[in-house]
Amino acid sequence: MERLGAGIGLRARHYPDFSGARPAAGWLEVHSENYFAAGGRERAVLEALRRDYPLSLHGVGLGLGSAEGYSVEHENKLCALAERVEPVFVSEHLCWAAAAGRHFNDLLPLPFTEEALLLVASRVARLQDLLRRRVLVENISAYVEAGPGEMSEGEFLAALVRRSGCGLLLDVNNLYVNQVNLGRDARAQMLALDPESVEEIHLAGFSAGEHCLIDTHGARVADPVWRLYESALERFGPVPTLIEWDTDVPPLDVLLDEAAKARSRLERLDALVA
Amino acid sequence: MPSLLEVQRAFGAALLGGGGPPRMAVYRGNACGNWSAALAGAYPVTRMIVGAELFDALARDYARAFPSTSGDLHEYGARLAAFLEGYPPATDLPYLPDTARMEWLSHVAHYAADAAPFDFSRPTEVRLAPSAALLKSGWPLAGIWAAHQEGGDPSTVDLDAGPDRVLVHRSGWRVEACSLRPGDFRFLAALQERRALGPALEAAAAEDPAFNARVALAAWVQAGVITQ
Repeated sequence: MERLGAGIGLRARHYPDFSGARPAAGWLEVHSENYFAAGGRERAVLEALRRDYPLSLHGVGLGLGSAEGYSVEHENKLCALAERVEPVFVSEHLCWAAAAGRHFNDLLPLPFTEEALLLVASRVARLQDLLRRRVLVENISAYVEAGPGEMSEGEFLAALVRRSGCGLLLDVNNLYVNQVNLGRDARAQMLALDPESVEEIHLAGFSAGEHCLIDTHGARVADPVWRLYESALERFGPVPTLIEWDTDVPPLDVLLDEAAKARSRLERLDALVA
Repeated sequence: MPSLLEVQRAFGAALLGGGGPPRMAVYRGNACGNWSAALAGAYPVTRMIVGAELFDALARDYARAFPSTSGDLHEYGARLAAFLEGYPPATDLPYLPDTARMEWLSHVAHYAADAAPFDFSRPTEVRLAPSAALLKSGWPLAGIWAAHQEGGDPSTVDLDAGPDRVLVHRSGWRVEACSLRPGDFRFLAALQERRALGPALEAAAAEDPAFNARVALAAWVQAGVITQ
């Protein structure tokens, strides 16, 4: 799987770049919900691109940790999409998203408690049964602590892997944002993880808000995040890495340039191993 | 220790209600921003008509009145027309609810299943294409639509042009809204009601003496509006 190298998140703004051309990205990742539709342009674009690129499905709306309002219908749509596009990865976020009859359409932080772990592990196990494949779960950025916890973020992720058999999508930018915002030591979280469990890495840029860093996916990857990424590769090996950009999406070349920076680090590691 | 449900309900209430630490504002901004962007994406004409400022206020009020209930934001905003019916800031724009109704049909058409190519070996088993929808209004909706598309001129809309019968459907990847003559509207509406081809043509002819079955059939097959 490490041969995937560096990929980019595919966004609608870049569809024209892929029309008739095949830009040099190792693989592509899309937000699953953008392709739930029964037909239309998005579905046709995905059908065309999956023939030429390894494709990954990244969900943003399921909310694995919602104590109420979890949608089986949403699960079913994801399964139907996965069956159609045969993705290299299916990933979801370690978060909750719905409460009191409302969906917040955001990635909201979970308290790292045994109760939350039980719930998320059972949801992941169920989803893996439905999909008949391993699911990757991603650590999110947070701006406040959700509530009192019983373990660290890294310990929670490691326990989730043990209980559900899932893999991890390690978002290195999110680790950094949480280190700054919440004082969680990013390297300590990585050390808590089983090196074999990390199957994908995300990199993105943040913005500095009034009270904290905000995970906007609207900038180049910051220098301290690149350094943290290098530490991550040392621990987890040359894991397939994705550049995400969701706000003020720049021309495709900027994303490809960021992906090239990740690729050079992956290749350096490959050369060391060889 | 509070239960997970208690933690999440309290978090949600703080997010919506303006409580919690200052950083809760980031979550408030994310959620409201996502809802507003989804609404603006589904209702570009409505947004052009009311202007960005009123639309932003309207989006905030709509989010409170009709909360999002799906993790797929493409489903958000389905009830905007009903919301606008009773929205005081928009009362001087009485055509806005029907415009929004048309735009939701357009939004749904964009994501509807593709129509199968017409199968001439069974020409009588026809039905409306998945993306096609019909709407009657007291306002000239197709004119409002056209004036707010790229290259259109909103100042040319004649609100006194009278009632309209509109077909919204996807042609290629573009969604279009066009006016129908009474016979064509009746014909397509009959197909939408799953009536057979013969009775649908008869209903159209009965409604509109100018309705020409051969011309209508050829045109709607050609346009991909009727399929099997």
